[in-house]
Amino acid sequence: MEAGALVILRQLDQSLARIMKRGIGYERLTLSLDCPDNSDPELRDICDRLNSLFSTLDEFYQYASQLAEGNLEASASRNNIFAMPLKSLQASLRHLTWQAGQVASGDLQQQVHFLGELSHSFNRMILSLREKQSLEKRLKTITDVLGEGVYLLDQERRLIFMNPEAERLLGYGFDELAGKRIHEFIYGQHGDGTRFNPSSSPLIISLTEGREFKDPDAVFICKSGYLLPVAVICRPILENNRHAGTVIAFHDITEQKKSQESLEAVNRILEKQASTDPLTGILNRLKLSQQLDTEMKRAKRYATPLSILLLDIDNFKSVNDGYGHLTGDAVLKEMAHLISGKLRDSDIFARWGGEEFMILIPDCDISQAKACAEKLCRAIAENPFSVSTPVTASFGVAGMRPEDTHESLTNRADQALYLAKQNGRNRVECG
Amino acid sequence: MNETYDFDWDDLGNLEVGRPNLGCWASLLAYRLMQYTFRDVLSKEVGLDKTLELFIQAGKLAGRNFCLQVLDKSLGFEPFIADLKQKLIDLKIGVLRVEEADLEALTFVITVSEDLDCSGLPIFGQTVCNYDEGFIAGIFFEYTGRDFHVKEIDCWATGDRTCRFNIKPA
Repeated sequence: MEAGALVILRQLDQSLARIMKRGIGYERLTLSLDCPDNSDPELRDICDRLNSLFSTLDEFYQYASQLAEGNLEASASRNNIFAMPLKSLQASLRHLTWQAGQVASGDLQQQVHFLGELSHSFNRMILSLREKQSLEKRLKTITDVLGEGVYLLDQERRLIFMNPEAERLLGYGFDELAGKRIHEFIYGQHGDGTRFNPSSSPLIISLTEGREFKDPDAVFICKSGYLLPVAVICRPILENNRHAGTVIAFHDITEQKKSQESLEAVNRILEKQASTDPLTGILNRLKLSQQLDTEMKRAKRYATPLSILLLDIDNFKSVNDGYGHLTGDAVLKEMAHLISGKLRDSDIFARWGGEEFMILIPDCDISQAKACAEKLCRAIAENPFSVSTPVTASFGVAGMRPEDTHESLTNRADQALYLAKQNGRNRVECG
Repeated sequence: MNETYDFDWDDLGNLEVGRPNLGCWASLLAYRLMQYTFRDVLSKEVGLDKTLELFIQAGKLAGRNFCLQVLDKSLGFEPFIADLKQKLIDLKIGVLRVEEADLEALTFVITVSEDLDCSGLPIFGQTVCNYDEGFIAGIFFEYTGRDFHVKEIDCWATGDRTCRFNIKPA
């Protein structure tokens, strides 16, 4: 028996020496001990157990190798005592694989238990994802109720998010726009609706350059083709000082524009009312005074002449008394209309008060002004007014002197007018 | 044999009141001692097959009541499984892990590690977690309203380190 045992030990030693020298991966971990036929039964049992042990180790090695390669379908015999701890690891890995799939599909209920540091890391990851999901939900709620259309672009300026208000305003659904570049669906428009060339659109340029862009008076084109006036703001998103995307927020300013336009119209009316004589429609005394100041400054600065004509309808009281105030008003209107038609565009004509009118004639000296006044005087006298009695007017003319003030100039015209009245009316006098 | 007993959750008693000093936890040894001596006695009374069938039935009854009393049936599948996992850990029954789940076909492969019934057992060459099979079937029945067939395919007692169960509609 001792000789037989020695033979077996030598075979075992040779096999082990070969394996330890060349490594297990080079050849299978097999041992085939030849037990002499006539050997002791106990020795044969030992040989069988050693063969079986090596066979089990070989299977374990193959099993472990497959697992190391990521083959989670690998299997080992149930009675392979070496493989048992790895079977536990295999089960955990299969579960982790399933869990990873679940997390990828949005299931953040997953937890890993009793896998040491892996459990802590995985569970921290889940916690972080839950927090992110919670934040995303809150942000979504905010953007859902926000009265602003919101687009979120990635760094390639492709749409990755939009809120319901953006869909409501422009009519495009997320499915239609997802992944599209910004210039494919937000058209930079001029106010009249003509499109910017994308390369010259301020919005696209600022997006390209990663700059903030604001336009309180932009126009977007809706899916329906309708031009929507919007106020828009684009702000780049920076991550680690690198451009990671852009937020575009915009809102409809149609109503705002309407009210703004109506406000502007009201202001225009109020301004006109403030400067217009309501009866004749020409400028009133207040506006003319302002204009007179302006023109006097201009004339002084450029050393050009400036003259004023002050006219008063003769015996107007008799018109009112004889025909009534309505007819008197009609005569005033006819007078304003008549004179307006005979002046240059640059002349400034206003009702000075009652039946008095003033004409401001820039770039005109007193002699030219007097000639103009005489021409007007004749035209009035020859005009068929709506009253049967003749209507005439007296004129006082004054030319601006360097030392003149508003008051001194108008006073001279007034004195000249008084003189014209004194001298018989329907005539021109210079002051 | 004329009299029978109907299980009631309240029959488990008030553990906190009943064991003010020892608390509600007992040794796993005591549990296994009871289970395996039952297995011994019953198999000799009614045969092993019938004994295993009775274990499955008892497990199913336990699973249904466990689901009704401990779990939240109103949860969706994923949170329900998460809740189940946590409760099984809290009650030190085992560590449940899902390997496969087909929610359309309602087929699942799950594992239970450190299982109450078998972890650490010698290799018997056959699965022994029959009570668990019934327990899982009972939970799935209560949750889905459908009968399930649960078969243990790997067990510590067959040389694996975790119990693996195939679950499919009956």
